[in-house]
Amino acid sequence: MTSQLNPMSSPTSETAAAAATSESTNKNVSQGRPGRFSRPNYRQIHRFPLPLSVHPLPPLIPHNPLSIVSVLLSYLTYLIAPPHHDVYFAYFDPETSSVHVTDAKAIRALWEMGFFGKGNLSRSEPSWLEREKKRRGLLGGVTSEEVTRQRRTERRELKLERARMEKIAIEQRLIAEAAAREAGDTSIDQSALPPSADGATNSIPPPTEKFSLRKAREAKLSGSQRSVVQTEGTDTPDGPDVSPSNGSKTVRFSPVVQAKEFVSDSTVVPALDSAVNEHGMEDEPSLSNEEHLQLSNEEAFFLVYGLGALQIVDSKRNAVLSPPSLLSRFCQHSYCPPRDHSANLEPDDPFMISYTVYHHFRSLGWVVRSGVKFGVDYLLYNRGPVFSHAEFAVVVIPSFEHPYWSETEERKAHCARKQARSWWWLHCVNRVQAQVKKSLVVCYVEVPPPVFGETGIPLEDIGALLARYTVREMLIRRWVPNRTRD
Amino acid sequence: MADTDEAAIHLPSHDSAAHIDTDLSDETQDFRMLSNLSFLADTSQATLPKRGEKDFEPNPTLYQADVLDASRQAMHNALAHPRLHNPKNQIVGIYAPDGPAPPRSLATPKTLDTIAENDTPAQTADAEESQSKKPSGTGTNVHPDSCVYVTNPKGQFFKNMGRADRWGRIWLLPEEALYMLERGSLDVRWPWSATGCEDGCETDNSGIPMSLQAAYACFIGHGGLTVDRFSVYSGLRRLGYTLTRALGWYDEAEEEVENPESAKKQGPGLAGIYGRFMDWLHSSNTTAVGPVAGLGIHRNYNDIYRKLSIIPFYDPTAPLSQAPQTKPPFRVVFYVYKPSTPFRKSAPPAPDFRVAVVNARTQTSVPTLAQLGTLLESTPLDPPKGEKMERMLYMRLRHGYRNVILAVVDQGVVSYLRVADAAFGKEKLYNRPAPSGNKRGANPRNPRPKPKGR
Repeated sequence: MTSQLNPMSSPTSETAAAAATSESTNKNVSQGRPGRFSRPNYRQIHRFPLPLSVHPLPPLIPHNPLSIVSVLLSYLTYLIAPPHHDVYFAYFDPETSSVHVTDAKAIRALWEMGFFGKGNLSRSEPSWLEREKKRRGLLGGVTSEEVTRQRRTERRELKLERARMEKIAIEQRLIAEAAAREAGDTSIDQSALPPSADGATNSIPPPTEKFSLRKAREAKLSGSQRSVVQTEGTDTPDGPDVSPSNGSKTVRFSPVVQAKEFVSDSTVVPALDSAVNEHGMEDEPSLSNEEHLQLSNEEAFFLVYGLGALQIVDSKRNAVLSPPSLLSRFCQHSYCPPRDHSANLEPDDPFMISYTVYHHFRSLGWVVRSGVKFGVDYLLYNRGPVFSHAEFAVVVIPSFEHPYWSETEERKAHCARKQARSWWWLHCVNRVQAQVKKSLVVCYVEVPPPVFGETGIPLEDIGALLARYTVREMLIRRWVPNRTRD
Repeated sequence: MADTDEAAIHLPSHDSAAHIDTDLSDETQDFRMLSNLSFLADTSQATLPKRGEKDFEPNPTLYQADVLDASRQAMHNALAHPRLHNPKNQIVGIYAPDGPAPPRSLATPKTLDTIAENDTPAQTADAEESQSKKPSGTGTNVHPDSCVYVTNPKGQFFKNMGRADRWGRIWLLPEEALYMLERGSLDVRWPWSATGCEDGCETDNSGIPMSLQAAYACFIGHGGLTVDRFSVYSGLRRLGYTLTRALGWYDEAEEEVENPESAKKQGPGLAGIYGRFMDWLHSSNTTAVGPVAGLGIHRNYNDIYRKLSIIPFYDPTAPLSQAPQTKPPFRVVFYVYKPSTPFRKSAPPAPDFRVAVVNARTQTSVPTLAQLGTLLESTPLDPPKGEKMERMLYMRLRHGYRNVILAVVDQGVVSYLRVADAAFGKEKLYNRPAPSGNKRGANPRNPRPKPKGR
């Protein structure tokens, strides 16, 4: 389904776009669609960038003794009643190699403060319950998924409208040409040939030649009486070319397919809705949240090790996993199939490399989310997906510069296999990012040699392990010589 | 199609801004526009062609068939247009397979000495250097790889091509000669020495013209010119750019670092000491098992982010420890100047772009960090400057601190990639004010069409 391609990011702009188009253009089409619904105040909801609470000191003004008193007072209150430190719980599921959060409060907190995780039944924000309630008619408002669906339906209608207009133009031209042929066989060449090879090529093309989506929208404005005419026009059997069954391309021109589309939009869905509504009335009391928040391993480890805002329990033993054991577990699970528990930590474990990058960008203040929908490793959001589109898309490539990695032929081959990417891969990723207006960042991670006992770095010191990696970002984009010529 | 583009460039009204962002190579053409080009002498009212609208599907109307016919006819007309060479404008070059040499009539031992000195590889590229060595020579800056000389230089091409010697002849590099020959601006003749020597002759000109095939056979491979490099050269040249060979052209040449940045070693300064003190104050032993952010009371989020930054990152502004050792193919081969950059052959300005040419079939994998890193380090530091860059974070990051252009040639198809050292680590996003709440307003880029599939 194409909606999978649309990431978590854009409830607001889609809402705005959908609302704007629905208000400005086609008032007669938008029956039953709610108008501009009040957008949640995202600045208030997501005012904390991390799931940690901060307690700023009152300002200290040197020449005002009262401010010193207030500072002291705040220290005192912290001493007497230390503020509660929220720690959330999650469990690690070894079967899916992922971390699940099921507590509703924790889910909201992790999503709202830092945009961690993804609802397993939602596109990104865990909104299944809300959508379900909405679907059963228990709740007003619109979820972002619905907004997207609305916008898609609308766009499809506009495209169909455009196709219909084009078709009418073609029919009119065919009729005119037939009439010209009737009038005089000999004069077709002169009369029906507006463009000539050497003549007025820059002349304005006939206005009926092309239709943009905008034109289609404008055309929709011009009342319903014309659509009646159009449907009559399309119902008449005309040229031999409009048979609906000649391949996939007929979508744009065949009236039969259009009819099908509209049928599926208009009749089937309401029928389904009404059926559900009948059921919904009965099921209403037993509606419980079936959704959980799924954290990627990098997110989970950052929450545990970086922030201390999460504790992860093993699903079997119900014991809290310490950060070192969690690290080794995630490293083992970064291979497929997972390595067994006795396997040592290796510096080029995929998890170590990806976590280094994740931690690096998080520590700079970016909201890092998975970029799998765009064929990259990470997307970088400024502040969060509800505030702005991701501007940067990150792919991670390990780099093995240290002499240790080129000591033996076997190691050389191993490293070459791990860091080799083809030019075609790069061009693919680059073109996809250009299409979605993102900048491609190739993030090279310099992998250190393995830790030996004599180097003095204890294996348990995660900070020392991570500090041995180096990150270097390269921004790669297509250079079009035609456009930089000025 | 290339001809259209080229003709459009050299038409007098080429500064109309509309042409800049139409990338002719991106779409199939409606060739009806070709018939609007005036190839004849009447250039006063020449305008750039406009493209018509495109049909996506065939339909049974006669109109569409006629448009198609007209377009085909226009293309045919354009191709069938006779291309005439005015004998007044004819430029004749003579092939010199052995490199620059004095005219035969003057080939005395004395001048041969100076020429031989001229040929030493020590002064491969730098004209000024050679001039300073030999102040007496007026035309000693001829490139030793030059292999065609022109005795009657005229026309616009010699403004940025070729080097003159002391006898008034202009010596062309193989790529320059091949490019001019390909576009019909040059007529290369075989020398007597190659056709059967006749000693009594005054000049080298045998009068036998060189075919394009022979020119390719002679020039490709001469002085490091490969097909890949030539396709990049001619492609950019046709778009109006000026290209010169960079120091990395020769595989064996030691590339001189363009910016011998004086590693300014100064003390940490007061701010530095204060920063270290603060670092020490903030550093806690919590990184071993976490949480890195610490367990105590957090005063503000910036402190948390500061504590979290434990991953080292590469700083492109740091002085280089040693001169980068670039290895082919990842080294700068061409300096590229925009058409708008004033270019003087004798004193070329700083290049607008630096291009490395990579053959995607011999170097099949994307460059590793070492290859790309040394390539970038061989270019001068070019940090984002200007008020706009100061204001716009994304633009600053996209510009980067150093940049280079990779021309990836895959069996004749050239794709250009601009690589920039972004240094995200130097931009602390958490220090910036939060974007305004609305997604539309939050985008600091200029308003663009709404992207698909976010």
